[in-house]
Formats: sequence, structure tokens, C-alpha cells
Amino acid sequence: MTSLLVVKQHIKHFIGKYEVYLQPLGKFLVAFITLLFVNGATGYMTRLNSLAIVFVVALMCSFMPPNFTVIMAGAFVIAHLYAVSMECAVVMLAIFLLMFLLYYRFSPKDTLVILLTPIFFILKLPYAVPLTLGLLSSPLSIVSVACGIIVYYTITYITGNIVTLAGMAADDMAVRFRYVIDGILHNREMLVMIGAFSATIIVVYLIRRMPIDHCWIIATITGSLVNIMVLLLGDLIWDVNVSVPLAILGTAVSIGIAKIVEFFAFHVDYNRAESVQFEDDEYYYYVKAIPKITVAAPQRTVKKIHSSRRQN
Amino acid sequence: MINEERVILMTKLASYERGRGKKNVTISNFFRSDYIGFQLLKSVIYATMATGIVVGVYLFYHFEDLMQDVYELDLIEIGKDVLKYYLILIAVYCGISYAVYSYRYHKARKSLRNYYQNLRKLTQMYDS
Repeated sequence: MTSLLVVKQHIKHFIGKYEVYLQPLGKFLVAFITLLFVNGATGYMTRLNSLAIVFVVALMCSFMPPNFTVIMAGAFVIAHLYAVSMECAVVMLAIFLLMFLLYYRFSPKDTLVILLTPIFFILKLPYAVPLTLGLLSSPLSIVSVACGIIVYYTITYITGNIVTLAGMAADDMAVRFRYVIDGILHNREMLVMIGAFSATIIVVYLIRRMPIDHCWIIATITGSLVNIMVLLLGDLIWDVNVSVPLAILGTAVSIGIAKIVEFFAFHVDYNRAESVQFEDDEYYYYVKAIPKITVAAPQRTVKKIHSSRRQN
Repeated sequence: MINEERVILMTKLASYERGRGKKNVTISNFFRSDYIGFQLLKSVIYATMATGIVVGVYLFYHFEDLMQDVYELDLIEIGKDVLKYYLILIAVYCGISYAVYSYRYHKARKSLRNYYQNLRKLTQMYDS
């Protein structure tokens, strides 16, 4: 454990020292990976699949505000869907616009969740998202996660029905439009996921705010159980095709991810917890103080020993 | 001789000025009513655009039905319905906006008050 803490200190020190370079690099990597995922999941407009274009756009994103990445990813998705059918692109554009107009003007920082949620779905680790957000964020992030889920399922639905959409007559615009809208609105799996993730975020948030020992790990495990239960319930009621073994496995891995998050964000020593009590003119104070676990990173000093040159 | 306490305070103040402070100063340049009023106006515009999108999608979705029954539709009744939902959306959205921006204004003022307090403390440190 000590060596892990030393590594953590080194990482913190490294990030602090090279923040100026790491910030654009981080933005570049997020944009590059996101655009690759978008191209991988859709990829109907062949021109956008070029690695050079992805590289250049990601490079642009690294020098722009983080929300620019979200806008570019959205533009890529719409462009790919436009290559399939204009109706799909219009539906996607309408979804994006509604999200940005109604919600993201309140909390523009949450837009990253809209990128990360579909990426975690593609990585088969979607359950890590509500657990992590419950630990680090507030219940308001439910809206962001729901938006991310809607985006993911819309793209999945369209890509899954691409043959049907392509087979429809070219002049059947209204039919295609209706087909896409019906598919999105009647996607029960999507609704079950939104329900499960919302319940998980609320449970994790409420438990981790409780003044109890090991609240973060209790919150993570309880949240995971709630997540599985809501998924099972949804499967039972609506017969959605949620693979239960995969959900359990994914949740187990997600607990691991949440534990890593906990290690970096909330690593405390409950054995050294102190309860103190004092008063002033107006209040009695009952304070519980739990020390953070920290170790000093060993400083390596390299001493160079040169043999002095003899001058003849 | 470096005064450690003063350096810490100055670093905190400088970090605040570069980060959150900038936004808070912009907010507190407005009177409360002006700030919230302006945000509410933006909310009305955004909600109107959102309604436009939803109505557009709805019309396109029912395009065939509408074309078939276009002469039998009670347009005034439909208009009333649309207006009713639009006003409900505006009311709910403006209510949420009012709560959010009132809270933000209050928080910005409080945070700036704290900043000016620290600034006074720093001046006192230099004076003493």
C-alpha cells in the first residue's frame, strides 16, 4: 500500500509540474479517442474516417475549451448519420439541440459526461459511470448521464437498423423519420438503463455523504446492488434484453474502477479518526475528523562523481 | 524575509482572481434583478427554440396524417393546445432558471465578499 501511495504522490507531483503541457495533451487524447470511437461505431461518411482528419480535429480540440470536443463529436455523429439518411441526422441534431438548449446552459462543465457515457458503453463498462458520478458529483449529473444514454441508444438503434433504413424507398422520408423516432421512444432498454443509473447515482451519493466509516466503499457496493436490482426488475417487467451475467461482471469491474477513483479522491485512515466536541457562544460542535493517508514521496538525488582529469 | 502567511494569502487571492473570481466579478457587476432578468430572458428564448424543435419534429412525424386531414383540422384548437404546452414549458423552465441563477448570484456575492475580506487582511499585513 505504501508503494501505491508513493506512486500517487509521484503522479500528483508530475501533474502539478507539467500541468501546462498535460492539459492540452489530455484534451487531445480525449478528443482523439472520442472521435475514433465515433468513427468506429458509425463511420458511414468515409472521408471522416481518415486518421489524418481525426488527428487534425483532435489537435484543434486540444487548444480549445473542453466543450469544443463535444461539439466536434456531435458534428461527426451527425455527419456520419447524414451519410445514411437525412432523417437520422435530423433526429440526432434535434436531440443534441434540445440537450444543449434546455440543460447544458445551466452546467456546461457536465458536457464531458455526454462523451464518456457512450464510450463506457462501447467498452462494456457502463456501470462505472453512475458509480463514479455518485462518488464525485451530485444527483444533478443524472440529467447528463440520461443524455449520454439517449445518445448511445439512438446511435445503436440507427446503426442496428441501417439495412432496413437503407431499404426504404427514397421518397419515404416521413416513414423513415417515423421509424427512427418510434425506435428511440419505444426503446425500453434505454429507459431501464436511465432508471437504473439514476437510482444508482442517488443511492451512491446519499450513502457517501453519510457520516459513517467506510462510506465510500459501502456506497459503491450498495449502488452496484441497486443497479443490478433495477436492471433485473426492468428485465422482469418489460422483458428487455439485458444480459444479467454480463451486467454482474461489468458491475464487478466497475466496483474496481470506483475503488481506484476512491484511492485518488478519498483515501482516509478510519483507524485514526477523532471525535472532538467544543462549544462557542451560539453552538455546540460535534466534529469528526478523519486524517487523509499521505506519504512523503522519496526525493531521489543523483550525485555525479567525476574523476578529476589530470592535466599533464 | 519572506512572510509565509502573506505569500499563502496572496497565492490564494491570485488563484481566485484567475479562476472562479473572474466569473463572479462579471456576475456581481449586475444588480440582482438585472442579472436574473437577463438570464430569464435567455431562458425564454431557449425554451422557445426548444418548443420550435419539438413542434417541428411532431409535425414531421405526423406529416402524412396532417396532409390527409388538413381541411378537417380545428387549427384554432390545435394552436390553443400548442400555446398551453408552450406556456407550461416556459413557466417550468423559467422557475428552474430563477432558482438556479438566484442561487448563483447569491453564491458569487458571498464568495466576492470573502475575497475582499482577504484582500483587506493582506493590506493590513503590509501596513503592520
